[in-house]
Amino acid sequence: MRLLAAFLVWLTFAASAAAAPSALDQALKAGAAPSAAGPQRTERIEAELVAMNVWAAPGSTAILAIRQKIKPGWHTYWRNQGDSGGPTTLTWSLPDGVSPGDILWPLPERQRLQSLMNYGYSGTVFLPVPIEVPASARPGQTLPLRVTAHFYVCSDEMCVPEDLDLALNLPVRDGAAALDPRFGQAVQDVVATAPRPAGIEARAVFADGKLTLTATGGPLAGATPKWAYFYPFEGGVIDHAAVQSGERGPQGLTLSLAPGRGLTASGLKPPLAGVLSTDLGAWEVSADQGAALPGAMGQGLIDDGDGAKASSAGSTAPSDFAKAALFALLGGLILNLMPCVFPILAMKAAALSRSAHEPTEARRDGLAFLAGVLATFLVLAGALLALRAGGQALGWGFQLQSPGVVAALSLLMLAVALNLSGVFHIGSGLQGAGHGPLARLPGATGAFFTGVLAVVVAAPCTAPFMAFALGAALLMPWPMALAVFLMLGLGLALPYVLISLSPRLLSRLPKPGPWMETLRNLLAFPMYGAALWLAWVYGRQTADALALLFGAGLMLALALWLYGRSQAASGTSRLAGIAAALSLIAALGLGVLAARAAPASTDAAPSSAHLPSRPWSEAAVQAALAEGRPVLVNFTADWCVTCKINEGAALSSPRTAEAMQAANAVYLVGDWTRRDDAITAELQRHGRSGVPLYLLYAPGQAEPRVLPQLLTEGTVVDALKDAAR
Amino acid sequence: MIRMLTVASASLLLLAACQQQPVATSDKAASAATETATPAIAGPGDMAPAFTLVDAEGVQRSLADFKGKTVVLEWTNEGCPFVKKHYSGAMQALQRDATADGVVWLTIISSAPGTQGFVEGEEAKAWKAKHQAAFTHLLLDPTGEVGKRYDAKTTPDMRIIDPEGRLIYVGGIDDRPTNKIEDLAGAENFVRAALADAKAGRPVQTAFAQPYGCSIKYPETVDS
Repeated sequence: MRLLAAFLVWLTFAASAAAAPSALDQALKAGAAPSAAGPQRTERIEAELVAMNVWAAPGSTAILAIRQKIKPGWHTYWRNQGDSGGPTTLTWSLPDGVSPGDILWPLPERQRLQSLMNYGYSGTVFLPVPIEVPASARPGQTLPLRVTAHFYVCSDEMCVPEDLDLALNLPVRDGAAALDPRFGQAVQDVVATAPRPAGIEARAVFADGKLTLTATGGPLAGATPKWAYFYPFEGGVIDHAAVQSGERGPQGLTLSLAPGRGLTASGLKPPLAGVLSTDLGAWEVSADQGAALPGAMGQGLIDDGDGAKASSAGSTAPSDFAKAALFALLGGLILNLMPCVFPILAMKAAALSRSAHEPTEARRDGLAFLAGVLATFLVLAGALLALRAGGQALGWGFQLQSPGVVAALSLLMLAVALNLSGVFHIGSGLQGAGHGPLARLPGATGAFFTGVLAVVVAAPCTAPFMAFALGAALLMPWPMALAVFLMLGLGLALPYVLISLSPRLLSRLPKPGPWMETLRNLLAFPMYGAALWLAWVYGRQTADALALLFGAGLMLALALWLYGRSQAASGTSRLAGIAAALSLIAALGLGVLAARAAPASTDAAPSSAHLPSRPWSEAAVQAALAEGRPVLVNFTADWCVTCKINEGAALSSPRTAEAMQAANAVYLVGDWTRRDDAITAELQRHGRSGVPLYLLYAPGQAEPRVLPQLLTEGTVVDALKDAAR
Repeated sequence: MIRMLTVASASLLLLAACQQQPVATSDKAASAATETATPAIAGPGDMAPAFTLVDAEGVQRSLADFKGKTVVLEWTNEGCPFVKKHYSGAMQALQRDATADGVVWLTIISSAPGTQGFVEGEEAKAWKAKHQAAFTHLLLDPTGEVGKRYDAKTTPDMRIIDPEGRLIYVGGIDDRPTNKIEDLAGAENFVRAALADAKAGRPVQTAFAQPYGCSIKYPETVDS
């Protein structure tokens, strides 16, 4: 008994002893536990720490981003929130050696709240942040990155401060990393378009209660902006809610800003820095105090884009709508002549001419046809608008952005053209639909279904002619879009309806005859033209895959010819049919390959090659300085993604080349791909452990100027100008 | 047939050419009118606009009643996170110190009915005790008229008026525009500094600071 008790006591102790360390363990873990990676949510906002690339190379700058998904009706703020609220701030907790840079703020929205104006973001937002990954990081390691993001999430009614703990485990590996499949492209887009210095010169002067900002040069020179708005980095300088009016000139523009209370109370404290946003782009400007710059006036007034934005966001000018509708009507009329449609109409016209002495019947048939056409267009348009609303960029206009779709359209045009040339016939399928059972129904029902079939068959023919009207329709709000589609239908049905309504025209109808065939063959040529044009667009969109498309076209032509032969001569039909199928498969295969072809890269080829460069060495720098020439040094590496972005954006443009020449500067490139020691030492001398590092030495100055890690053309040009002085 | 084709394609091309016209620019007169129509907002050094409001007890209070005393106006909204930071003790302490010196402290609520911060009746009477505040009077401005008259945009937003009725301080309460309580320590409180300057007979050193906070919940119908 006692033994049992002792045993039980021992068991209890052992169990608690076993439990205790694990409780301690848990406590330790809880204290030290990294917050869960992935999106963190509250009622109003979802935030996530993401990386632009799938891994980071040691000694490079990686780009992270705070992804925000904000509930509709709520928003977060820019670095200058405007009249109320507060900016998003980040508190980082990073491993040793990893250091964060400043947030690269995308252009904010103007959010008007009664008499207040705020600058912020809504919907899905990415805030990129560059971080330096030290060279001491080892490939195969994972860096645990943590940040507490403090947001002010505000609606019209209230502000809720939200603190979210975000974490990301970033792998470290050698070599250039690919874009993260989920958000990499989106982050890269923000990095490319966020406003940054562009070499614009600006002056500000506060006099007579008015703040005047002039900005010239850079992208503004010779440009014709329609509107301009200035977002200051500091509050209190301008009255955020006031209208900004301006004038543009040959070299730039002038803006009149209503002063804020801080300005009125304490005067202008230069420099006045902020973002200048126009319909042509948005850039960072920093204005010193001074009189207006020349060339900033005299070419007309510009407003601040509030009105323009409102119109692009929702309403469309009635004149635009009328034009689109008229164009659609005309397109519909032309559709009648299209070979896809005409055969059906020809058959019905023949039937009409038979019933020429029964005008009421003809009228009824005509109206039923109209109803059928309009109904089908409504259904098609409805489906398209539903898809559009479903968030897909599907639409006759939008398709010309994807090389795959362009290739498919090109092949389709080719097939239609071959059909028109008489190479093959779409037998009892579509063209004979005029004979089909539905259309043969007596009276109005038959006419209704002929209308339906006319639309179905016409759809492939609409692309070249109707692209504009459909594109406009897809951009407009849906009631207008629907109306444009209906105008298309009206245009298509109009000749037939007119003829059926007016008995006299009936007798003027041309009799079906061989002229139809001639017209058909003639109309093949615009189709060939369309196919060629689309092939050309495809060639421009892809790097080198035009040959694939040509091959696909050739196989398709062969397949269709064989098919046509099998239709014509029934004896050889089997063999020809099989051969046709085989060629079709070949055509499809090549077509798919063509569709999958990589789009041509939008950034330029290795850009350091564009600027004549020499390899970096300490001696080279000194030699150039001794000659009195400024030196621009670029430390880069093949596996450094940020370096490549900067080289493409800033170091390979003609403006930079011009600026280099004007400053008589020497361009030295230090290639750290193999991490040689001399460059490592130089990087460390400047307090960096990785690339990119951009240094600008000016003759006569001991220490070089370090340029920002996210480089722009404007920054380089400005720096070169300063160095040359 | 051919004729129809030619006519059709010609008109098509014509229409296409018409598409290139730029969109009409907006009305310039409107923007010009806005500039001239904006009334002058009183800033530091100007006479403070007169007003009369009913306080939480139902008594009418006018600015003129307090002529000869230093008056502090404080816009507040108890739901705003920025106000909550200050009402964690710092604002109450400042109110106590100021009123002990003979300063009249008027707390104003300009929230429209139904919006965050609005109070009336019993709730208004209980506001002072609820927040352990030490203001002289709580004024209710549900139409937002007085707030707009002073161009108050955020909560908190502060004004200090000297005994002659002139504004000597306009703007935010301190220089740390966050909602975090730990940012109170070490922040420069401009109201405290201005009151000290006024008491010592000095001109106020910082007469304006950028205000921060939540937007005041004005009703849509009030025109500025």
